[in-house]
Amino acid sequence: MSTGTQEGSRWPSSDLLSNRRCISFKLRLWCLGALLVVASLSTIAGPKWLPSFRNIAHEAGLTRTLPNGGSVSKQFIIETTGSGVAFLDYNNDDLLDIFLVAGPDPKDPSAVTNRLYRNVGNSNFVDVTREAGITKTGWGQGLCSGDFDGDGFVDLFVTYWGQSVLYRNVQGQRLEDVTAAARLVQDRVRYNTGCAFLDYDSDGDLDLFVANYLKFDFANSPKPGENPYCWYRGIPVNCGPRGLAFDRNLLYRNDGKGRFTDVSEVSGIAVPNHYSLGVVAGDFNQDGHTDIYVACDQTASLLYINQGDGRFEEEALLRGTALDENGKALSGMGAAAADYNGDGMLDLFRTNFSDERETLYRNRGSGEFDDVTRQVGFAHNTRFVGWGCGFFDFDNDGWKDLLLVNGHVYPEVDRLKIDIRYKDRPILYRNLGDGRFVDISEQSGPALVERHASRGAAFGDIDNDGSIEVVVNQQNEPPGLLKVERKCQNHWAIVKLVGKAPNRSAIGARIKLTAGGRVQADEVRSGGSYLSQNDLRLHFGLESATSIDRLEIKWPNGCHQDLRHLQADRIHTVREDCGARPKSSRSKTDAAGRS
Amino acid sequence: MMLDTERTRDVRFEVWIWTRPFLCFLFLLVSASERGFTQSSLEQVFASIERGDYSLAESAFSQNPRLSLLKGILQFHRGDYTSAQATLSQILQQNDHPHARLFLALSQAATGGCDAARAELERQFSARGNSDTQRLAGLALSQCYLSSGRYSEAFGVLARLEADHPSNADVLYQSAKLHMKAWNDAVFKMFEKTPASFRVNQLSAEIFEIQGKYAEAIVEHRKAIEKNPAALNLHFRLGRALLMESHSAESLEAARREFLEELRLNPSDAVAEYQVGQVLVAQQNRAEAVRRYERAVELNPQFAEAVLALGKIRGEQKRFDESVELLRQAVHLLPRSEAARYALMIAYRNAGKTLEALKVKESLEQLQRPPEGEFTEFLKRLGETPKTRQ
Repeated sequence: MSTGTQEGSRWPSSDLLSNRRCISFKLRLWCLGALLVVASLSTIAGPKWLPSFRNIAHEAGLTRTLPNGGSVSKQFIIETTGSGVAFLDYNNDDLLDIFLVAGPDPKDPSAVTNRLYRNVGNSNFVDVTREAGITKTGWGQGLCSGDFDGDGFVDLFVTYWGQSVLYRNVQGQRLEDVTAAARLVQDRVRYNTGCAFLDYDSDGDLDLFVANYLKFDFANSPKPGENPYCWYRGIPVNCGPRGLAFDRNLLYRNDGKGRFTDVSEVSGIAVPNHYSLGVVAGDFNQDGHTDIYVACDQTASLLYINQGDGRFEEEALLRGTALDENGKALSGMGAAAADYNGDGMLDLFRTNFSDERETLYRNRGSGEFDDVTRQVGFAHNTRFVGWGCGFFDFDNDGWKDLLLVNGHVYPEVDRLKIDIRYKDRPILYRNLGDGRFVDISEQSGPALVERHASRGAAFGDIDNDGSIEVVVNQQNEPPGLLKVERKCQNHWAIVKLVGKAPNRSAIGARIKLTAGGRVQADEVRSGGSYLSQNDLRLHFGLESATSIDRLEIKWPNGCHQDLRHLQADRIHTVREDCGARPKSSRSKTDAAGRS
Repeated sequence: MMLDTERTRDVRFEVWIWTRPFLCFLFLLVSASERGFTQSSLEQVFASIERGDYSLAESAFSQNPRLSLLKGILQFHRGDYTSAQATLSQILQQNDHPHARLFLALSQAATGGCDAARAELERQFSARGNSDTQRLAGLALSQCYLSSGRYSEAFGVLARLEADHPSNADVLYQSAKLHMKAWNDAVFKMFEKTPASFRVNQLSAEIFEIQGKYAEAIVEHRKAIEKNPAALNLHFRLGRALLMESHSAESLEAARREFLEELRLNPSDAVAEYQVGQVLVAQQNRAEAVRRYERAVELNPQFAEAVLALGKIRGEQKRFDESVELLRQAVHLLPRSEAARYALMIAYRNAGKTLEALKVKESLEQLQRPPEGEFTEFLKRLGETPKTRQ
């Protein structure tokens, strides 16, 4: 075991400490007296502490509306699925920036509608879309990030109906469209949705998985009411996905020089008959190889188990993640993975349609899952259509809570005057730590009762104070940025992993953190939620523990790094340093089917 | 509430013959009866009919007296029943021809002349000859019976048609229409004769449920209960409507109370027991839910949904043998149920019986496979052509 580099916490601005001085345990002692009378009762950590989420998007500078089809009526399914959002630190200043994806501007289809916002500190963002060279227009869907060329700057893949784009991050200055050079130009119009960078063949560089929803074109698509799949509760609505042709998912192998080859067929990814949306990657069976879970709409969801030889087997049905507990394929939208119950294994969560339950699959070990939705207390929120979702520890008690954002696909549903609405509020579940969750949405601040037609959601700490913010892509509105006012006093740690080239973003690395007698596990992953990208850094709540006893890192190449006695309430940057990198035992021949 | 009890005003019926079958029929007739046409002129005629342009065909058929039967049929096809009757009557004055008689009867029936047409339609329907003509005659005959309120005879004709043509859309449509009309008439009678009965409210509620208007259904169910608090099934239906109307925790609790009330009236109602169990599971009260499921199965061991629910809960309790046994029974009771098979597959898997699980998985996949057919073909076609639009 070797010890990695610790850079400790780097505070971007002293202003950030204004409301967060008490985060640091030492400082907390110092100012305890001053706060005791005024604020302590409402902020003391404990089972009754409730967060107050406020939407700070406007004051943070996120004011531009994100167009995405009709807001009163939608004629085509393409208007319903966009779009995702990313937290990424594109300029390596340790402040999370935001990339928002949108559809075309109905008034000016040539206008650029995706936005890149640079974090300038103090929870303020500046629109740098133009300076970054982003010019692509169209029906943007989702995105995922990863340093595909190993230059130390995180790159971005943005999916579209049409032609998706690979942006190479040029020294944190601009995003260059290298789609053609990377050989990612598709043979026809595709409806790309979720995506994830992953090193599926363990050759050290990042490959790319891209989900496809269905085959769509405006000319041949039926109109609302035209066939039985174009009705919802007696109202003619946009058609699909049923009645529209399936497409297959794609896997692109990186040759190590930034060029990709389509290996969908030989790798076993191209299974037919699914409407694929959200993607979450992780080593679900803990065999050291990254697997892929895909939430599918109105069809069985997919779990591609990495065989370790360049091939995947789709095993969702028997592993218990394809359907709900009644054997029914739900309308899966987003997906998230985390170890919610502290057993060291990644569990899976999927958002679904109204009149369906959200689904939580508990990992029984070896990548077999049980649907525990009802057991954990999720089953009652059945009026929502869920999209973006993520496990995050909002109160830093060491148990991953869950937030999902909602919004219907049919604006016309409001005509029915029922409790299912086009715009709806998010849902926040508190993890009780005993295998159950409790819904605290309506007691958790004004942002959680705001109604929007939400889609993508990304989770990350924009001000590095140990409290996670959530950015939400809201159709035909500016985005939401949810922030906890007066964060909980529990301790925390954020771990930023820096791998050796080419996988500098350390995607696929696994962390086991021991603190206060508890063990928590997580992985660095690209993609996730609904067509979105969370902070690549991993956040852990430590409750009352003031230090991390042990931090074990299993890097994607298999090597282990073991760190001990790290301080709480800090960002720990750990660089891969475990001696000579073991040579991969698998060759690319297995993956691509060629010598 | 108002129900659509409007009676059919005449015997005019929809055009039974759709373009493609009609063309096939015409083609057979031409092939059999006339050799005067060249292949290319025939193709031209059919192409024009397919385009909805009948002038070329009619002029071609008019030039040759031997083709006047086709002219009559064509006139019927395009809905010119008066001309069709004139043409076909003229043919029959010269020669008897079964197709002329059939289409004359069809034309008569289509213009309100069921009395004149009925004997011929009955004859053609009873004759064991051409399946297409028998079907056409049967459809028209059933419509004639339907419009004159002779439901039992209409049912008889349609029963035979359904047996002979089980997948024919026209036959199934006519059958649905007949049932709907009979149902409408019965409802109309009930509203007319017993307007104050709780049954009127009960039926109204059930109709609202079908229409997805659950708030209205709840109001009607409550009125029915007010009129007859001891009637069975009212509380049960109210409970179900409450669950359909709202997704809230309050509705869940209100529904549970209604199911319990139903059980008070009828303690042997296994379905109500099961529903209480379902609500309790959603309310996180699994221990009590288990007791409800057990009781439901005790009341009715053949109640598949309850057996399934109990089997699943036994699995969660890690009582795998019992779970597998119950779920096998559920699959036996519900051989087409994906839910039962899925639960059994998971139970076998969790019990460590991988081979059995794989076997059930195979049968489940078989069950989930979409049927081949027109729709699948449509799916395969759509979007296959490369598109450049963005």
